[in-house]
Amino acid sequence: MRTELLRFIARRLVQLVIVLFVVSIFTFLLIRLLPGDPVQTIIPFAKGPQFAKERAQLRRDLGLNKSLLGQYWSYVIGLLQGHLGHQYSSGLPVSTLVDQSLPVSLQLMIYAQVISLVFAIPLGILAAYRAGTKTDSAINTSSFALLALPNFVLALFLSFLIGAKLHWLPTAGYAPGWLDQFFDGSQHMQLGQHLTDMILPSVTLAVGQIAVYMRLLRSDMIATLQENFITLAKAKGITNRRILWRHALRPSSLTMLTVAGLNVGTLIGGAIVVEVIYDLPGMGEKIFQAVESRSYVELQSYVVVIAVLFVVVNFLVDFLYAVLDPRIRRARTPA
Amino acid sequence: MPCSIPGFVVPERRPSPRGGAPGPGTGGFGGPGAPADAIRRDEADPSSLAFEGDAGLLQVDAVAAGPEGGRRRLGQGLNVTAWVAIAWMAFIVLIAVLAKTGLVTWGDPQNSIASCASKGPFAQGGSAPGHLLGCDSIGRDMIARLALGAWESLLVSVGAITVGFVIGGGLGIIAGYFGGFVDTVLSGMFNVLLSVPAIVLALALVAFLQGSPENAANSTLPDWFVLILAIGIVSIPLVGRISRASALSWSQREFVLAARAQGAKSGRIMIRELLPNVAPAMFSIALLGIAIAIVAEGTLAILGVGVRPPTPSWGNIIALDRGLLLTSPHIVFEPSILIFLTALALNYLGDVVRTRFEVRESGI
Amino acid sequence: MTLAGLGTAAGASTTQAGPAHAPAPTAQKGGAGSGGNLNFGLEAETDNYCLTSAQLAISGIQVVAAVYDTLTVPNSKGVAVPYLAKSVTPNAANTLWTITLRPGIKFQDGETLDANAVKLNLDTYRAAPGGVSADFGSLFPIYLKFISNVTVVDPMTLQVQLSTAVPDFPDYLYSTGRMGIMAPAQLNAPGQGCETDMIGTGPFKLQSYQQNQKTVVVRNPNYWQAGFPKAASITFVPVPDESARTNQLEGGQLDLLHTSSAQQLSALKSQSNLKLLLQQPGYREIHYYYLRANKAPFNSLAARQAFADAVDRNSLNLIQNKGLFQVANSIMDKSSPGYLANAGYPSYNLKKAIALVNQVKAQNGGQFNITLGTTTDPEASAEAQLVKEQVGKAGINVTIAQFDQATLINKALQGDIDVLVWRNLHGEYSGDADQSTYVWFAEGYPTNFGAFSDPTVQSLLDQGRAASSPAQINSIYQQFNRAMAKGAYILPDWYVNWTIGYQPSVHLTFPPLPNGEGTPAFVYGRIPVLGLSKS
Repeated sequence: MRTELLRFIARRLVQLVIVLFVVSIFTFLLIRLLPGDPVQTIIPFAKGPQFAKERAQLRRDLGLNKSLLGQYWSYVIGLLQGHLGHQYSSGLPVSTLVDQSLPVSLQLMIYAQVISLVFAIPLGILAAYRAGTKTDSAINTSSFALLALPNFVLALFLSFLIGAKLHWLPTAGYAPGWLDQFFDGSQHMQLGQHLTDMILPSVTLAVGQIAVYMRLLRSDMIATLQENFITLAKAKGITNRRILWRHALRPSSLTMLTVAGLNVGTLIGGAIVVEVIYDLPGMGEKIFQAVESRSYVELQSYVVVIAVLFVVVNFLVDFLYAVLDPRIRRARTPA
Repeated sequence: MPCSIPGFVVPERRPSPRGGAPGPGTGGFGGPGAPADAIRRDEADPSSLAFEGDAGLLQVDAVAAGPEGGRRRLGQGLNVTAWVAIAWMAFIVLIAVLAKTGLVTWGDPQNSIASCASKGPFAQGGSAPGHLLGCDSIGRDMIARLALGAWESLLVSVGAITVGFVIGGGLGIIAGYFGGFVDTVLSGMFNVLLSVPAIVLALALVAFLQGSPENAANSTLPDWFVLILAIGIVSIPLVGRISRASALSWSQREFVLAARAQGAKSGRIMIRELLPNVAPAMFSIALLGIAIAIVAEGTLAILGVGVRPPTPSWGNIIALDRGLLLTSPHIVFEPSILIFLTALALNYLGDVVRTRFEVRESGI
Repeated sequence: MTLAGLGTAAGASTTQAGPAHAPAPTAQKGGAGSGGNLNFGLEAETDNYCLTSAQLAISGIQVVAAVYDTLTVPNSKGVAVPYLAKSVTPNAANTLWTITLRPGIKFQDGETLDANAVKLNLDTYRAAPGGVSADFGSLFPIYLKFISNVTVVDPMTLQVQLSTAVPDFPDYLYSTGRMGIMAPAQLNAPGQGCETDMIGTGPFKLQSYQQNQKTVVVRNPNYWQAGFPKAASITFVPVPDESARTNQLEGGQLDLLHTSSAQQLSALKSQSNLKLLLQQPGYREIHYYYLRANKAPFNSLAARQAFADAVDRNSLNLIQNKGLFQVANSIMDKSSPGYLANAGYPSYNLKKAIALVNQVKAQNGGQFNITLGTTTDPEASAEAQLVKEQVGKAGINVTIAQFDQATLINKALQGDIDVLVWRNLHGEYSGDADQSTYVWFAEGYPTNFGAFSDPTVQSLLDQGRAASSPAQINSIYQQFNRAMAKGAYILPDWYVNWTIGYQPSVHLTFPPLPNGEGTPAFVYGRIPVLGLSKS
């Protein structure tokens, strides 16, 4: 059993490394595909002697004097050391910008995930319990509609209604929360303001996921509710509520939780546009600004950071899933 | 030739379904919906990561209790909702084509009228007469812009999905049919493309392809083309995964094995036997994909890339006047509603198509 | 270092703006430092505070107003009066200026403000041998090249020798708020210290500078004006997105903001719970299009006129600014010398435009293609599309190129753009328009974005620089105004009103100037912060 697990982990680790390797090549090539002199394209404002500093910095970062292979090698070594290049218009290292913005996005995604599960679980249970009835229909229909609703539409709508018209919640701005100080020591937590600022964005991001998780839980629970041990419990006289929450929930939630764990990619995509609309200084907004100012080196580094994050999280969830569900290990390791 | 059975679907269903069409949703493009990166355990091929939509589950779901409109009956016509959805799509396509070809005009999408600037349909000072949906911030008629924008949005989304299906679908079938090394390589490629969240990848591709602003006059690639490429490339692994899983299961059917035994060439088998069986299911995914791509265009526009003004697209109409949300919300909400309704219609139709095929299959 | 800040496109602006109705100074309740902590939303971030080499935009200038003092400051009548300096007096020929300082003023790090410190500043600004060479900039030296020598007479007095007569020299000592006097420790800071370690004599001292996030300044307890500053601290937050900034003010995250956008002004006005300080006519900035005249197609007068005839500025103003701003037909505003209600800039005439365009096309192989450069924000984008549409009707083909501020300015400097969407203040408040016009329109200056050379214009600029009587100055600059119109080198669109939006709990006051010469001017978006407080 243990060797199975180890083998599984080993295979997945190898896959992880390969994927990261190819991603690094891809991002490395992105910039070199730009036509013309890279320095000219990347920092077009920097003609003239007063920008000698910026140009030199860029040349160093890109290692343009070396061979292509040499450049790639220094690029990878640099990545491993956390050198992500610079934002040439301000001279700031990209790693600093990442430190400032990543915790914002992470907190946003965590809150969204929590909110969506908090709503999805009761709704999923209800829908499964009342499968086939009008309640179930209603829940299904609304979740269907929510799934089709683009999150930028929801963001704009909430921003307009709750922020601009009703003035109940702020629609722009951010205060540091509990995670920021670990990335950037100078950020002191202002929890109250932080949470108020994060309510609308988190809810916006959560809404779409609620529908997905709800459906997953519902379908798994419908199957679980037909199992023998449930019938047995009912026969024993245990209340419905107890059955649902205590007995049926846990075995039915595996798929939902797995998907929740693997949903990082969707969350990241959603977070970017939510941050831009709600003016949160997260990675999404940084990416947006890098694209706007055609700050290619910065953009490339953000892509790398996100890819690495994403791949690593997927690996961890996969690993967790494998630990929890032995069938998977067996299925995935060739005899 | 052994008879190929039309209709589709992945044989396995509960408890760990795989392959098949993804459920409704708007994918990872900043829309909620089926996460395109749910890992499904693919028992047929343990050595691969099957990044599919949480399809199978929603598929189960759909069979258990489909979207609104109740259950379909085998062999019966479509219900009312489906017809409404079809009518809506026809309407949008018609408007788009009429606007682009100039056959019918409701106003000039590129003409600014000062008296109409920023006035909505319910404007306080009285709405601008003759402009039923109001105007945008510089006084261009909304109806005209939305109609022309429909063309851009549809062009980009249909084009991108076509690219995704032709390339992704083709590669997927090849991977599913040949298996082994070919499959490992292709699946690996898919994995790499999937390792960057869809929207980040699309954004980066567009930013690098569109290049520097002042080269706009000399740029060789029109905006819609760049978008089709970017969204298309991003959709390749998603479609590829699905067609691969489908091709995989069909490849193990008797008639394919028989064809092989008879010495038919691989290419012939793939085109003659696999494609007709895989394709119908993919149709459902295609409809879904178009919805996702339309939302993607909107998201990318808000993030500052994509179709550049003054050419309108549903996305860039929103993006340009997002700052006027408080005072002129109509500019943002009119295209938003159009995007939402179109995505909804396509999702619904995709669902209907899928359940049709699978119900038919299960009846065999 | 970036070039953000010379005049600007949509960002800040450079030269002075005039005031007219700054709020009357009221007796301040409470002593210094009791006035709370304020969050001030700015248009952009500044990444270099080494004032001699920084090219500050309005956002930077506002921060400078907190940490530094300038030797002179314009008062509400438009006269640049001594502020940090005790007196600034010329000789009869306006070529030798004597600056005396106030005793007992210290920089925030304890260094004494004396003539040597000021000389160090002036020499570094003008890139002279006595200055700190690591801090030399590229624009100030050009701007100040008429200074030939700075000498220290005694610890509280210095003399500035000019190579030509410059009667409005006190205006140069203000330089739209950029010429803050830095502590020698900042100027001499090793490496890039000068860019980040702000040390001045101002009412607030720097506590923390987190680029792109916030800059926090706290009360300077040893400030030389007793009873000031009122506030305990100010946090400057850059919020480049105009509507986000407005949203933050509405939502309460910001206590104040500045904006030059008519659309935001309209949004702010609709919020009855916010207060507004509006700039009044007199010395407003002009939003205009600067045509690159040293290459085709705009090297031909016909082409420039064609463009000008094709733009319907009234419509543009109505649509873009909801009629809140006023169309400009002059390069300077009402209270400035040289103002004319109509200097003769071409007005909208589509027929004429079409005819001229055909003429130009005939000489250019049927082509009339231009690039219009502006910033990336949505308002700029909307305006660009509007212009493209309008001149498109005359047959001119426009490619819109949007860049961020810094890149746009560089593109303009390099001549890559045919039409630059610009905003700047020309014309001045001390009865002279030299300081705010010369470098922008004189031959050979890089900041002459049009790169045009017109002997009439040049001669008028030179005359204006030398003239000293107000009547003469007025007449010269009026001729200059007309000459610019005749040559169609620029096309003014509208006067820009800066607006300060603030919470009702904020007290925005303009305390009286130390020499009793009135109150400070409301310099387009820049407010003196020593009187700010929050209850």
